[in-house]
Amino acid sequence: MIPYLIATLSVVVIFTLAGLALNLQWGMGGLVNFGLFGFYMLGAYICGLLVVRWGLNPLVAMTLAILTTAAISALVSLISIRLSEDYLAIVTLGFAECIRLFISYEDWLTFGTLGVSGITRPFAGLVSAQWSDLAFIILAISALCVVYVVLSLVSASPFGRLMRATRDDPDIVGSLGRSVLTIRLRSFALGGAILGLAGSLHAFYYGYIDPTQFTPIITAYAFMAVVVGGRGSNPGVLLAAFVLVFVLEGSRFLVDYVPGLDGATLASLRLIAVGTALVVLLIIKPAGFGRERPTVRAGSDLKN
Amino acid sequence: MGQLLVNGLTTGLILALPALALALSFSVLRFANYAIGSYVTVGAFVTWWANVALALPFWVAAIIGSVAVASLAVSIDALVYRHMRERSGLTLLVASMGVAIALENVVRLFAGNSPRSFDVPVARPQRFFDIRVNQEQLIILITVLGALILVWLVFRFTRLGRAMRAVADNAALASVRGIARGRVIAVVWALSGGLSALAGVLIGLDTSIEPQMGWNYLLPIFTAAILGGIASPMAAVAGALVLGMAEEVSTLFLPPHYRMIVAFVIMAALLMLRPWGLFGTKWVQR
Repeated sequence: MIPYLIATLSVVVIFTLAGLALNLQWGMGGLVNFGLFGFYMLGAYICGLLVVRWGLNPLVAMTLAILTTAAISALVSLISIRLSEDYLAIVTLGFAECIRLFISYEDWLTFGTLGVSGITRPFAGLVSAQWSDLAFIILAISALCVVYVVLSLVSASPFGRLMRATRDDPDIVGSLGRSVLTIRLRSFALGGAILGLAGSLHAFYYGYIDPTQFTPIITAYAFMAVVVGGRGSNPGVLLAAFVLVFVLEGSRFLVDYVPGLDGATLASLRLIAVGTALVVLLIIKPAGFGRERPTVRAGSDLKN
Repeated sequence: MGQLLVNGLTTGLILALPALALALSFSVLRFANYAIGSYVTVGAFVTWWANVALALPFWVAAIIGSVAVASLAVSIDALVYRHMRERSGLTLLVASMGVAIALENVVRLFAGNSPRSFDVPVARPQRFFDIRVNQEQLIILITVLGALILVWLVFRFTRLGRAMRAVADNAALASVRGIARGRVIAVVWALSGGLSALAGVLIGLDTSIEPQMGWNYLLPIFTAAILGGIASPMAAVAGALVLGMAEEVSTLFLPPHYRMIVAFVIMAALLMLRPWGLFGTKWVQR
């Protein structure tokens, strides 16, 4: 039971990080990142390859993965950053599909479809194998805490207000003398950094990565978390991501109880549910269940 | 070289239909419909079902598939998009992704993951001056040209077509002039769905039918539409032909599985240099 809980918790934490990253980019910044799984994959592969191919210390590899993913996110967003946000959606999606192709075919660098195996976890030498999962979960939860605190600070900071303002009306932000381009670039890069972190943790947790692990389904789940949790609300997305993974992971057990239900059927049913729920929520509860931090506090003089 | 042109033309012609469908719905509704890939897939599977399970002739099955997806597109608009008309384009974008995921998996649920093909007689390829043209390519050429001419005639010469152009140009002004926006939108979705389904049938004829097929075409479809200038439907056809040629020519120096990367690079270059498209007017949504 305990090992199972730790395993589920690890998945939850990694997934929550992806949800929080999307909440920063789309929820607060209005930047639709359909290619989320590509940046996540990039983070996982950079981290995994640095450890396996070049024997780097896992923590150093993770730091490099975070920085590189952030930088590449910024570059990708530059392609369409001068245009309306709709273009970013297809650019990120295209980038993600290309990354997946590149990783699948360039065996000399990425081991192709064979995958990268033997990715050692941080502190592997310090803890014995039986405590390895526990050590990992402690690392992952601390990472989640750090990210959450940083995001809360960003959300409350003047930059967070700027992001929300850019999302709601870029023209006004521009006319007030702020550079919309820089705000979008910075929020996309910060989101990319978190995705790099989530990807690295994915690589450490499984110890083995191959291209089939990274599909648009990751993007779909992240969008689901943000829509349920409420766009722009960090606590909402945190909670939603936890609940969602427990429900979706838990639905695996249905196979044992419902006769005639196999894994493939269940997988498609689950995705039909996710797609439908996404649409229904956007229609009937577009603000989600969480609440975005109000820009003007109740009782302040600005309120009218 | 001639062979390359024929293949490029085929790729481009197949892309032309969904690219036109995407630009059509974009020009009237101002949002990019990511579910278009799943319309392609559903069209191919419905046609396969009518062709193989019901043993109907191929062309009858193709018509059934197109009509089915045309009505599907209209009902999805009534169920989903209509309730979000006044929201931002981004919300619609995410909703259309939700639709895409749901539809693709409905197909998986009923048809499984294995690839299929239509029940059509195999014919020997024809040779014209050393260029091999197989029967599928001829069918693709005739179907796409027929569909394009039909859409062009509707667009150019009917009242409905004029209404569509008016709504695309200025929705508020059009409704002041008494054009029923709801009906125009329904027709646009029907056309968009029908064209996508037809593309699915042709893709299935050219390669194979699988749940993933529409998704794999999403990036090329968008690239073709952006190449043409996404708000100008007929230019999307030209964009598709250019992209088809470019993808085919790229196989001279890149492995064929990297076609998607070619499409992406073209799109990226275009968005940075000429975001209004190769053929579009200098209109751009910032």
